[in-house]
Amino acid sequence: MFESRSVEPANPGLKGEHGMNFALSAFLILLAISLAVPTILFLLLRSSLNDLLRHTLRLQAGVTFYLRSFLLVLYLAALSAAIGTSFDLKPDSRFMEYVWKGAEGVSSTLEKELWFVAIYLALITVLVATLKVKDDE
Amino acid sequence: MTNDRYLIVSYFLCAALSIALGLLGYYYLRRPFAGVAEAAPGRGLPSMLKRLFPCGFVLPALLGFVSVSYRSCDRTTYTEIVASRGYLVEKNQEQISSILLYLLFAVVFWNLVALFVLRFARDGGEGHKTGQRTE
Repeated sequence: MFESRSVEPANPGLKGEHGMNFALSAFLILLAISLAVPTILFLLLRSSLNDLLRHTLRLQAGVTFYLRSFLLVLYLAALSAAIGTSFDLKPDSRFMEYVWKGAEGVSSTLEKELWFVAIYLALITVLVATLKVKDDE
Repeated sequence: MTNDRYLIVSYFLCAALSIALGLLGYYYLRRPFAGVAEAAPGRGLPSMLKRLFPCGFVLPALLGFVSVSYRSCDRTTYTEIVASRGYLVEKNQEQISSILLYLLFAVVFWNLVALFVLRFARDGGEGHKTGQRTE
């Protein structure tokens, strides 16, 4: 009389706990990338930035201040973008949807990182230029 | 834990986190900034800068936290807001992200302040020429 027909999707996606695990894994991977990028950038630029600042500033405190600020700028920019990425996808989302969401997070992390490194570099350029002018005077 | 309780706990935890992150940023830059501020011209300016420095980290962090609103186009009432745990978690992420972003602006602002202080430092550029450094 009643024909019960269960409608199964052709290719069932990740459901419930699996989806949660994928979301958590994707978020942790994104967090790891957002910590790795500023670390690599800082290690790459630290010595030359240190030399430049030592050459420009009289105060050792100034050198330390600008180096520490650079480290903060890198980490804050990356973490701010990474943590702001939400993995709240539908329960039946597929694996690749999590990957795309993660890629979106990496994209916004790198974009923010780039903008703030550019701002910091502009600031350092102004610093070097103004103090050089002052020394020349 | 109900969504209602989760909202209350997470909200106050994020508020505490914002103050903690602000203080952390302040403590990390406090000593080098004090050294820079000492070079500022004028009698009261160095101490004024040093006293303003903690506020310049804690207040932006708090501002970042409170700038996130739980109400949105499709969720205007309290019941709609607490209906979904995912939405609450998303808002918490947004709050932490906003705290970090405002702290970032604070760091850039204090960098600019340090730039002006160093530009108009009291004892000119002699130290640099003679290689003196103040620890």
